[in-house]
Amino acid sequence: MMQSNAGGSRHRLFRPSLIVGALSLCAIIAAYWAMALRPGTNAALVPAPPVILQTLIEELRSGDLLTNTLASLQRVLIGYAIGAALALALGALAGWFRWWGYILNPIIDALRPIPALAYIPLVIVWVGIGEPSRIIIIALAVFKPIVVNARAGMQEVAQIYVDAARTLGASRWRVFATVALPSAVPYFIAGMRTGVSTGFLALVAAELIAAPSGLGFMIQNAGQYFRTDVTIVGIIVIGVLGALLDQTASRAGRALTAWSDVRREP
Amino acid sequence: MNGPTTAPKLGVQGLTHRFEIGDERKSLTVLSDIDLAILRGQFVCIIGESGCGKSTLLRMMAGLLTPSEGKVLHDGVPIRGVNQALGFVFQQDAVFPWLTVERNVEYGPRSRGVPKAERERLVAHWCEAVGLGSFRKAYPKQLSGGMRKRVDLARAYANSPDVLLMDEPFAALDVQTKATMQEAVLKLWESTQKTVVFVTHDLDEAVFLADVVVVLSSRPGRVYAIIDNPLRRPRDEATRVSDEFAAAKRALWVALQDARAKGAAAPALPPAAALVQHAEPNPESVRP
Repeated sequence: MMQSNAGGSRHRLFRPSLIVGALSLCAIIAAYWAMALRPGTNAALVPAPPVILQTLIEELRSGDLLTNTLASLQRVLIGYAIGAALALALGALAGWFRWWGYILNPIIDALRPIPALAYIPLVIVWVGIGEPSRIIIIALAVFKPIVVNARAGMQEVAQIYVDAARTLGASRWRVFATVALPSAVPYFIAGMRTGVSTGFLALVAAELIAAPSGLGFMIQNAGQYFRTDVTIVGIIVIGVLGALLDQTASRAGRALTAWSDVRREP
Repeated sequence: MNGPTTAPKLGVQGLTHRFEIGDERKSLTVLSDIDLAILRGQFVCIIGESGCGKSTLLRMMAGLLTPSEGKVLHDGVPIRGVNQALGFVFQQDAVFPWLTVERNVEYGPRSRGVPKAERERLVAHWCEAVGLGSFRKAYPKQLSGGMRKRVDLARAYANSPDVLLMDEPFAALDVQTKATMQEAVLKLWESTQKTVVFVTHDLDEAVFLADVVVVLSSRPGRVYAIIDNPLRRPRDEATRVSDEFAAAKRALWVALQDARAKGAAAPALPPAAALVQHAEPNPESVRP
């Protein structure tokens, strides 16, 4: 009766998803390596993987990488928390309550086609060049996918559950809180996962605005001195960090939607 | 509570319903001039072909839909909006998948602010009553279709509704499970004495369950016949294969044919005909 994952956890390290995933990453690295070793390639501009590894170790030793990673992580987390909280609240209201929809839908739909990066000049002029403006840009980037998904989730709530709750004596507010919100959780998770990647996208852009630290700053700065190896290290760290955060969001999402019988993605 | 004989438990008066189709000019009459009076404690089945509007009628009794004309009365009082004193069991799976069995059963009492200790008692009692005592912590996805229907029944009963409305609740179940569920419903009805209005398209189901069978005609749905079910109670699995069951089914069938022969234009019974009262030991029908 109860479902079990015993088969999956027993052979954790030998799961096909891990093996195939590692192989496909290796293939990319190998292809890059072959390109780097081609005669006539400038080793300073296309550093071979061992050089990149060495740079990574150096950056770790000097503590620069850690400082920059922590600075970026802090920005992303604060911006994400603000953007996601606002998006979930407004999306849920707009998708459920008719009058909230009337008020919020035009704003949400007008914001949809605008890339968050387009706000950068405005934010700089209005808020200045500082930490708040970077966080605002990340929050704006995170806001959009989450608000759109949250609203869609609330609009898709099955009528049958609403009717059932109403006949059982639930007030309108209780239907919102105990039927609409939980049944829209899968949509909230989908939006929040997209938000992680758009948040990182905006992070790098936000750190190009005269940031004193951060991975975006590191990449930009290294580029100016032709330190391609440092740039690549920065890119890899962003990729790994983003993937880790996405995994965290995904796991949290699964835990929250354990009741759902929809197919799990690999 | 009102006296049992002063007003019907649930009354339907002059109910007509039209669905708008396409532009506002055209409309389709799905229910026409429905009059019903359902007495306290009765088990009433409404049967009719699919598309005759029987589910629509039931939803209107619950206040989930508002009729174009006419009204629904509960203890003689016209209802407005969803009537939260009634319980509704839907044809589709309406158990909340994000709540465990016990949280589902607890949902109604919790909505009404029943204190925790009393809720705990209700959950224990009703989970046990439908045979889900050992599945209280399970999520609906871990249960079979029949078990989910039991959760639905327990949830409806735990809310102590005044009347239970059931909309083809077992239509999606296999024959065996369906039979078991029908027996469970009869047992619940006998132990609680609550009025039940049960919509079905299955004549066997109606014969097995009902005191009174309301037959609707199709397009528009009208009350075609109101037939007393002669089958004696108590009824159990042995009843299904008895000669008495076959005879009762035949009697219903003949009455149905009679009604059909007289034509849908003439209602088989005067409007608001009071139906049999279950509480009476005498199985004969009583008409005012």
